[in-house]
Formats: sequence, C-alpha cells, structure tokens
Amino acid sequence: MDNYLQLKDVSLSYHTKEKEVLALDNITFSVKKNEYLSIVGPSGCGKTTILSLIAGLLKPSGGEVLLENKPIDKNTTIGYMFQRDHLFEWRTIYKNVILGLELNGKSKDKESIERVDDLLKKYGLYDFKNSYPYQLSGGMRQRAALIRTLALQPKILLLDEPFSALDYQTKLSVCDDVHQIITNEKQTVIAVTHDISEAISMSDRIVVLTNRPSKVKYIQDIKLQDIKTPLKRRESTIFPKYFDLIWKELSNEKKEEVK
Amino acid sequence: MKKKRKLNNYSLEHKKYLKKIKVDKTTTLIAQILIFCAIIGLWELLTATKVLDPFFLSSPSRIFVTLVDTFKNGNLLYHIGITLYETIVGFILATALGTFIAILLWWSNKLRNILDPYIVVLNALPKIALGPVIIIWVGAGTPAIITMCILICIVITTLSMLSSFLSCDKDKIALMKSMGANKFQILFKLILPNSFGEFVSVLKINVGMSWVGTIMGEYLVSKAGLGYLIVYGGQVFKLDLVMSSTVVLCFLACLMYILVGILERKVKRH
Ligand SMILES: Nc1ncnc2c1ncn2[C@@H]1O[C@H](COP(=O)(O)OP(=O)(O)OP(=O)(O)O)[C@@H](O)[C@H]1O
Ligand SMILES: [Mg+2]
Repeated sequence: MDNYLQLKDVSLSYHTKEKEVLALDNITFSVKKNEYLSIVGPSGCGKTTILSLIAGLLKPSGGEVLLENKPIDKNTTIGYMFQRDHLFEWRTIYKNVILGLELNGKSKDKESIERVDDLLKKYGLYDFKNSYPYQLSGGMRQRAALIRTLALQPKILLLDEPFSALDYQTKLSVCDDVHQIITNEKQTVIAVTHDISEAISMSDRIVVLTNRPSKVKYIQDIKLQDIKTPLKRRESTIFPKYFDLIWKELSNEKKEEVK
Repeated sequence: MKKKRKLNNYSLEHKKYLKKIKVDKTTTLIAQILIFCAIIGLWELLTATKVLDPFFLSSPSRIFVTLVDTFKNGNLLYHIGITLYETIVGFILATALGTFIAILLWWSNKLRNILDPYIVVLNALPKIALGPVIIIWVGAGTPAIITMCILICIVITTLSMLSSFLSCDKDKIALMKSMGANKFQILFKLILPNSFGEFVSVLKINVGMSWVGTIMGEYLVSKAGLGYLIVYGGQVFKLDLVMSSTVVLCFLACLMYILVGILERKVKRH
C-alpha cells in the first residue's frame, strides 16, 4: 500500500477575468495508507488548492489524482476539516456529528449511528451530545468536528490548518487528542500547516512546496513514530534537527520571493 | 428564590452596579411616562381653554369620545378588521414571495445576473407611482391594497434575504460538498437555517412596511379601513376621526411589532 493516494503531474490554473493564475505546476507525490503527511509552503502557494483537488471540489487542469489507483470522483468519501470547526450553531453536537450521515441518507442506519455513539463516548463528548456548539470549549469543538468527518468513514482525511485558530496551549493539547484519535481510527491524513513544529510533531512525512506556481521542493521523512504523543516528540533530540532542515528549505523560498 | 441566593453571592460593588442599572431604568421609564402625560395634558388644556382651536387639532377627550362612539356602533371594529386583514395578508405574502424569489436568485447565478438591473430599478422606484396601474390591473378594492402592500415589502425582502444567502461562509459550503451534499441539501440544511437571524430582522422591517403599504393603498382606493377613515375624516374636516384612527393605527402597529419580537425570542431559545 505504498501508493494509497497518488498525485501524478498535477497542475491547476485558476481563471479570472483579469488573468490566468497557474497555482500548481506538475505536483507529484504519494501517500501511504495510514500515513500522516503534512504539506508546508509559502502562503498563497497552493496548499488549499491541493486539498480541494483531492476532495474532488476542483478538477485538475492536467495530470491525475488517484486513490487506490482509481480517479477520485463524487462518490469517494473524503473527510475535509477546515481552519475553523464550522459546527452549525443551530444544531446540537449530536446533530452536527451526524450531518454527513444525514446527507448520505444514513442517519437511520444502525451501524453508522452506533459507530458515532461509540466515537462520542470514546472521545469524551457523549455527555455533551445535546449541547449546542457555543457551550463547548475550542478543543471540544475541534474534536466534534473531527468526529463529524470520521462518521462517514472517509478513505482519507484532509486537514487545512485545523489548529491555527486555537491559542497555543489549547493547540498543543488538541494536537495530542487529534493525533490519538487519528491513530486509533487508522486514518490516512494529509494536513496543511504553517507551523513547522506542529508538522514535525504530528507527521510521518513532510512535503515542502515552492512559491507559486508550486512544485514539490523537498520531502522529509520524520522518524519519531516510536514516541507516542506529539507533545513528547517535541522534546526529542532530533526534533530541532528536523526543524532546521525544513526551516532552511522554507526560508530559501521566502528569499526567492523577495528577489 | 434561586435568584435571591445568587444575588447574595455578588460582591458589594457588583450589587451597587446592579442597583445603578435598575435605578437608571426606572428613571428613564418615569421620564417617558411624564413626557407622554405632559403632551396629553397640555394638548387637552390648550384646546379646552380655546387657546388652540380643537376644530383643527382635536383633543384627547374628543378622540376618546369618538373612539367610544365608533366602537359602540360597530364601525371601528369593522374598519380595524379590514385594515388588519389587508396588512396581515400583504405581510405574509410579501415575506413568503420575497424569500422565495431570493432562493431562486441564489440558486441560479445566471438568473441573478440577468435580473439584476430590473431589481435595481424596482428598488429605486417609488412604489406609490404604480398605484393607478395597479388599480387598472387588479381593480379598485382589497386586491389592489394588498398588491400595494406586497410591492412595498417584497423588494427589500428579496434583497436582504439574497445578500444574507450569498454571504454564507464559503468553507461551510465546501464542507457540505465534501460530505456529498447536493444543492437542495445545501439550501435546506445550511443556507436557510444560517439566514434565520436575517429572516427575523426582515420580518421586523416588514411589519412597519406592510402598514405603510396598506395605508397607502387605502388612501388610493378604499371604501373601508383605517386609511379610508383618515382620508374621509380629512375630506369632511372631522379631525376627531382622523386623530382617532391614527391613534388606533399606532396601537396596532406596535402590537404587531411586539408579537414578532415575542416570536423571535421564542424561536431563538431553540
Ligand atoms: N477561486 C480562485 N480564483 C482565482 N485564484 C485563486 C482562487 N483560489 C485561489 N487562488 C489563487 O491561487 C493561489 C493558491 O491559493 P491557495 O488558497 O491554494 O493557497 P494556500 O497555499 O492555501 O494559501 P494560504 O497559505 O494563504 O492558505 C493563490 O495565489 C490564490 O490567490
Ligand atoms: Mg490555504
């Protein structure tokens, strides 16, 4: 399962009235099953665009995106999480979490409902099932949003800077929570982030992108899997080395941009 | 009981603060009542002593007598009934129709772009100018008044609802799509509930606007209703009748506004 998800020479242009913007230029990389892969890159380089492509919200201008060797289409279940949790304020936590099931006509499906109840219990939200989002803390909201995406048993989970709206303390503990959930549930993840430390502590591999039009600049394997939690990984002796490597690659890009 | 215990837990400073708020509120209310009484009293005094001519200004006591008289001979309730009917039907139709059009315009970008200039013109047009056309098209009677009422409310309803629909967070829509939602589901599970707050403000605006529409309609064509009473009273120089009808109108409009407010609070709790 080395090539669970593959991007092959993917390019994408945005068309506006004024001009054509080439956002992605021949992006190629692949993701293994159960891997946590992070994408870092200068702002505006096209990270969100890559996720939108994988989610099937955009069609590539060139190249192809394959999941288990099949092109992604509307019926592929993909979990997508955004910067903000986007829980619907008018729905209870439970109703929020089963939103995906409802949209797919599975809200009466016993097996799915049991799974959701299970997830809520396991991750400490069952007592809040009838609360409204505003009654929950930032961390709990993020967990609820994660369970909402997991309810559909997605083939792959896409995270677009999911922790960046949280304050630093919360972020560290939510990272631990989310990492634990993702490992337990054996999810394959592609995460976009601006935070190098977060990327190193969470990932198995990190892809660094160039400025727009973005290409893959560099891929770094992270060998910290022996250490269980992201928080502990931050204390490891090789952590700063990884940080330096990726920092260099990124800051080179930033300099290029100034030129 | 519960409240009292809570209050005892507050610090002295907070209690003082709460007290100050309460005192402020009471003094404001007292001032408001005093102003009301002063106006009524002065009005009555000046007209009773003939400093001002009650023929032109009417007077609180004469308004009261007129109200009691018209109420007794059954006319008042009849006219109120007519106007209420027209206003409520206009209000409901305009809100429903306006929201429905907004949904259509949200649904189709193409339709929205095509209709854009027409909506701008319709919005800018003083609707009263269409009065004669309406009379010719739907006849001089209740339908014309309701049409006028709808015309006044509908454009603002459509525009407010549409802009609220369109301002929905793009990420929320992407989230729905990533979970496989179709356009109907996006509309009913996201766009509409998300715009509920805007809908309530539109209701509040329409309460006021539908009264404007109905009274304007009645000025133009009617043979009954409060607007008719006002016009008729003016034509035959019965200022008492004009003033009485206006007072009733104020009262009804406030009542309807309060009802919508109660509805809002009821629904918000859920
Ligand atoms: N709908 C669109 N139409 C036109 N151009 C777009 C559109 N969406 C994105 N772009 C452009 O494409 C480029 C890549 O956008 P994208 O959002 O993928 O970047 P990003 O790496 O996620 O940025 P950020 O770090 O700010 O999140 C940007 O320069 C952006 O201006
Ligand atoms: Mg982005």
